[in-house]
Amino acid sequence: MTDSLKLPNDIRAVMDNGIPAVVVTCSVDGIPNATIISHVHYVDEWHVALSFQFFNKTIRNVRENPHACVSLNDITGNTQWMLDVQYDHSEAEGPIFDEMDMRIEAIASASGMAGIFKLRAADVYRVKSFKSLNKAAPNQ
Amino acid sequence: MIPGMILKFLQDRGAIAVSGTRDANRVPHVHYVSGWDVEPDQQTIRCSINRAYLDYLFSSLEDNGQFSLTVEQIGTHETYQLKGNYAGQAEPNDADFAAHQRIAERFAKAVSALFGLSEEDCRAFISSPTVIVRFTVREIFLQTPGPGAGRRVFPPEGQ
Repeated sequence: MTDSLKLPNDIRAVMDNGIPAVVVTCSVDGIPNATIISHVHYVDEWHVALSFQFFNKTIRNVRENPHACVSLNDITGNTQWMLDVQYDHSEAEGPIFDEMDMRIEAIASASGMAGIFKLRAADVYRVKSFKSLNKAAPNQ
Repeated sequence: MIPGMILKFLQDRGAIAVSGTRDANRVPHVHYVSGWDVEPDQQTIRCSINRAYLDYLFSSLEDNGQFSLTVEQIGTHETYQLKGNYAGQAEPNDADFAAHQRIAERFAKAVSALFGLSEEDCRAFISSPTVIVRFTVREIFLQTPGPGAGRRVFPPEGQ
């Protein structure tokens, strides 16, 4: 993982490419939980937001143990971005929530999940470190 | 034993899989899985993992043995998460490479149709196996988006 905490600008295109991402969390009793998620939202160079739609295991876990690992997929670039993040706070209104709500509705509509995806809050995470994995590299 | 409906899902419909581990500090890590196969005991799963995802993998498994595997059918969003205990590692064999080919093909067709990407790019995204992680399934949870997400399907809730 890089020591730089500032997310590069080119990661925004990966967050907006519509390809689902992955988040792994861990319960306080040490059981990992891997979830495929529809969207990771760019907040600023140091923060991302994940959607809180159901009171599921991911939501419970990060409120007990704030560490999470997020992976973003760039299929055409054959690259993945791995972000070590830490849950910071939730926002149930305001510009971040509104932007995510619109995006989630669009994804739901496009994927036949309208009426099932419903944003309850934007969970904001601080980025602790990140790295990109270019799988076309000769040693990978 | 893993229920028949889940075995059938893993064999016929799952198109993308990701695993999670956690280290000694309870910090979680992502490891993509590029193929899977169920061993004859119908309780142990072999997961193909490429060298790109080996950071923290074996150090975490040797520390605590916890392993989670989430498998989704692309398009329908039907998803299950299987949680269990590390049962060892192995070199990929012919059946593991065949499973990888099958999954890469399934992934490429589904993602290409859904997102308009080339099948070649999608196929290349599912990396070839470097190592096999074997784990014994302890619990299975429904993770298809919706109000039922999180329900334990194995062993059935209440047991």
